[in-house]
Formats: sequence, structure tokens, C-alpha cells
Amino acid sequence: MNTSNTSNVIVTRGLKKTYHDNGVPVEAVRGIDFTLTEGEFTAIIGPSGSGKTTFLNLMAGLDTPTDGEVELSGRLISGMSGKELSNYRRDNIGFIFQAYNLFPVLTVEENIEYIMLLQGIHKKERHERVMEILQQVELEDYADRLPSKLSGGQQQRVAVARAMVSRPALIIADEPTANLDSKTSGDLLDMMKRLNQETGMTFLFSTHDEIVMKRARKVVTIRDGLLFKTAESAL
Amino acid sequence: MFKKLMMLSWRNVMRNKRRTIITGIAIGAGLASLMFSDALFVGMNAHMIESTTRTWMGDAQIHRAGFRETARISYTIEDPVRIQSMLAADTLVVASTGRLISPASLQSAMEMKPVTLMGVNHLTESQISMLEVAIDTGSYLSGDSMEIIIGHKLADDMDIALGDIAVITAAMADSGFASRMFMVSGICKFGSDQYDRYTAYVNIESAESLLGLKDEFHEIAIRFPDPMIAMNPDLAFYSTFSPDSNRAEGWPTLAPQIASLLRMVNVSLTIMALILFGLVLFGIINSLFMSVYERMYEFGVMKAVGTSKFNITAMVLLEAFWLGIVGSLIGVILGFGLIEYYATVGINFGDITFSGVMFDKPLYTIVDWSRIWIYPTATLLFTTLAGLYPGIHAGNLNPSEAMRKSL
Repeated sequence: MNTSNTSNVIVTRGLKKTYHDNGVPVEAVRGIDFTLTEGEFTAIIGPSGSGKTTFLNLMAGLDTPTDGEVELSGRLISGMSGKELSNYRRDNIGFIFQAYNLFPVLTVEENIEYIMLLQGIHKKERHERVMEILQQVELEDYADRLPSKLSGGQQQRVAVARAMVSRPALIIADEPTANLDSKTSGDLLDMMKRLNQETGMTFLFSTHDEIVMKRARKVVTIRDGLLFKTAESAL
Repeated sequence: MFKKLMMLSWRNVMRNKRRTIITGIAIGAGLASLMFSDALFVGMNAHMIESTTRTWMGDAQIHRAGFRETARISYTIEDPVRIQSMLAADTLVVASTGRLISPASLQSAMEMKPVTLMGVNHLTESQISMLEVAIDTGSYLSGDSMEIIIGHKLADDMDIALGDIAVITAAMADSGFASRMFMVSGICKFGSDQYDRYTAYVNIESAESLLGLKDEFHEIAIRFPDPMIAMNPDLAFYSTFSPDSNRAEGWPTLAPQIASLLRMVNVSLTIMALILFGLVLFGIINSLFMSVYERMYEFGVMKAVGTSKFNITAMVLLEAFWLGIVGSLIGVILGFGLIEYYATVGINFGDITFSGVMFDKPLYTIVDWSRIWIYPTATLLFTTLAGLYPGIHAGNLNPSEAMRKSL
């Protein structure tokens, strides 16, 4: 089950996913071999319906593949039970979604500490880590606010903080800038890139957004459920 | 984690205040109606028992075995002096009175009617029955051997007025018949045909001389501190006062129709409670499912970040619990408000008679503290249980599907 190369954060082999839409099979992912190494800042791009989100969901263990396997930090996640997967996601993956990312009834601090709460981390340590990450995302004065009192950009920064605070091996962001204006998107991406450099955490995005693509060190293109092209940036 | 889930579920419930309040009012109205019905039934039961025992019967009675079935004049209580002294010494007995009872005929100048002749001790009778209170015109018995009290309906039927002469004829204990002349000293109004149309009341000494009996009773009526005491079939009183030839029986045996009525009322209340709880259950399930579907994406995110199926189910269950708390609070306030109001004002049924019981006075609600708590507790329990189905549904959601469906 374990592999030798631990610097690979994620490895997929022959990954396939077929949906049934009103009884009609739809091949969303058609056999993708992909490797993401530690510390990468990679964007997955492709037109709508190309299979980006399905591919991300399969890598994150949010969906089960029809065929092929996913290995995260040296562990195969394909055969895990629902509970194992849930715990594995909690401890190894940070998520940033495009919208409605935060729990609206929880304050910024409560949102960020939520995953640590699930992990059973002590209150004092939770508070210290929340304050530390809030400083890093420059929202230390917003700890007691509800998400509805924050702008879209600030909400996504809180989402970044929540994804990072438990120090996961991988942060998956599904179109994180989809609902932001270009200035806010640029600022958010710059902040994420800075955090990537400072912490060495691995970031994987799906996006349509050129702002994201420009800042990514590696851009992977998916088309019709297949890996089409991989381009390294000089950045 | 539990504390956080409690807090999270409370905030979720308060997200849509209007829906929470409407659901709370629906639960509360159901609970209040149950509490009110219970208090009304308890009040009605108390009224029926009070009416049955205080009108004439008393809480218990002693007879010679077979007297109640045959009404034979010779079936008098065995060893009445010893029985009376035992009753006087019994701490459970508040009062007692001896009676002579015989079928008789009442004759006026124009009419003759069959009646039940009641020979009563005018001093002790008023401690047991309502005879003294029921006097409508004239006066209560004073011990004069000529006095007779008849009911107002009998007086109307026979066209007898206060001060008129009436003759009672009855079979004597040994043999033959005896007649005696009386003067109507009082006309009573109990509100029941049995006592207003078919009974005549005289002093016990007059009845003794008419029936040829001396210091004997057909019936001793007893009052306990609380009529409910008589409901215990294992009460030592019954065995103590039921030696071989005498029988001591409580009102549930003497008036089985009332005991059956009380059981029927309790069964009706239970059925009503089950129907209401069922309605509340489906109302809550519907409300929680609406809430779950509205938050599909959120549940998807929660599951994605590693929230367990158990924690999501527990959170929805706790949301149901909070709805139950809100509903129960509204219900308890509303319920006790209604109960308190009708405990003071009463509900007037307008002089109806049901199963021989007269509802001539307003019915007052009474709280039975030994069971009123069951309703809010059961409401809370049912409401929380109603969260189980939507909770399991939310817990089983596939995170990617939940997020995809809600986008």
C-alpha cells in the first residue's frame, strides 16, 4: 500500500470516473496519470465540463474512482472506507471552495478552528494557531466577526486560513477566485503564493482564471477528461 | 465537541428565526392543548368523583352482604354498634352516618308514587351528603318525627307543597305493612332525578318505627379525607369492615360507571396525545428536511473537511432538540396560562347531566403535578427523535454530490 517516494504528495494512476446522467454514462475522467510533488503551486485548467472538478474531487477522496488509484502522501486512498476517508481528508487535505466556503453561523475564529476541533486539539493551542494564521492572512482584527460581515476577498482569506491551519499535506482549491474581482483575486493569489513559499505547503487549484494561471508554477491542462498538457512556469 | 455541536445547532436553529418561531408555535400549540386537555379532564374527573361521592354516596359504604342486590329490609348491618365504634376509632374515617333504606309509596291527597324511603340521622348526614345544602325551600331535618323532605320534581309530580301532609307506606321488617303520616318540611333540589323524583327523606327514628327496626342500619356511608383513597382496592379499610356478613365497598365499586368513565377519559387523552405527537413529529421532520436541503452545500463542505457522519447526524438531532426546547417553552407558557385562567374562571357546560353526574357548576381545570410534566418531556423527546431521519440523511450525504447539487 505504501510507496517509496514520499516527496510525491499525490500520485494518480489510470484514474477514471464515469457518471450516469439519466442512465447515460458520462466519462468525466478517462484515465489520468498525474504526480504532484511537495511544495508545488499548481493550477489545473480546462474548459467547463473538461473534468477539472471531478479530477480534484477524486484526488481529495470526495468521490470514488470508477477505476485507477490515488495515492496521497504515500497512502492509497482508493480502497478506504467512508470513515477512514473522512479522517484522512480532515488530517491531510485543506479545502478552499469557490463560494459559501465558510459556516455562516460561526465567527472567523470558530470557522478556522473547526478542523482542529474535529482533530481534538486543545482549546489553547487552537486559539494560538488561529491567531497566528490570522496574522499571516492579515485578518487578526476580524476574529470575532461573522462571515456575513466580511467582503468576498476577506472570506476567501479566512477559507485559506482554515485550509492551512491544520497543516495538511495538500491544499486543494476549486476555483477559489471565481466570485472575486480581479484586484481581490490577485491579492488573494499573491498571499497564497507567499504562504506556499513560507510554509512549503503544496497547493493545487482548478481554475479558469488567468490571474491564477499566471501565478502558478505549473499549469496542467485537462481536456475531455484527459491530461492534455503540462507547462512549467519560469516564476 | 458536544458543547460546540450544541452551540452550532442552536445558531443554525436561530438562522431562520421566523421558521423557528412558527415551528415552535406549532409544537407549543399542540403541547398547550394537551396540557389544557389533561387539566380539564383532571378537573372533570374531580368533579365527577366529587359529585358522585359528595351528593349522596360518600367515599365508601358498608352494607349487609346481599342488601345492595336485593334491598331486603331484614338485611341490616351485623353488629352495628361495634362497627360504629370501629369507624370512630379509624383514623382514615373523617365522618360516617347510618341510614335505613326501604322501598315505599308516598301518598298525597290526590296521588301515590313509589319512592325510596331514606331514614337519615339529621346530625351526621350533613357531614356526608348534600341533603342539607340541597334544600331549596323549607328547612332541613331537625329530628322532629313528622318531618319529611322530598325532591322538587316529586313535589311537582304529586302537586305537594311545603306544609302539606303526605303518607308513607312501607313493608315492615318482620311482616306486614305500616303507614305513617308526615308533613313536608323541606323540598330539595339535587339536580338528579334519582334524588329529586324518586326519594323521600325522613329522620331515622321515624323510619325505624315505620319499618319496625331499632338501632339498625341498612347502610353506613363513610367519608375519607380524599375520595381518591377509595380507589385503592387493597385498602385495609375494605377488609377490616368486611367480616363474614358485612361488605365495605368504595365508590369505584358502588358506582362502576363512573370508574369506567374515568378510564375512558384517560384512554381518550392518551389517543389524543399520540395523534398530536404524531402530527408534531411529521411537522418537525418536514421543517428539518427543508433546513437540510437549504444547507446542502454547507453539509457538503462539512463532510469534505472531515466532519463525521455521527457529528452531522448529532448536529441535526440537536437542532431538533432546540426546536423542541423552543416549542416546549412556548407550550408550557401557553398551557399553564390557559390552565390558570380556566382554573379561576371555569367552563360552564350549562346544567347538563352525563352518566348520572350533574354538571351544574362550572368545570375548573386542575393540574395533576404527578403527570403534567410528561407532556413537555414527551414533546421534547418526540421532537428530538424527529431529527433522527433528516439527521441520518444529512450524515449520509456524499460531499461532492451535495456540493454539486446545490450549486
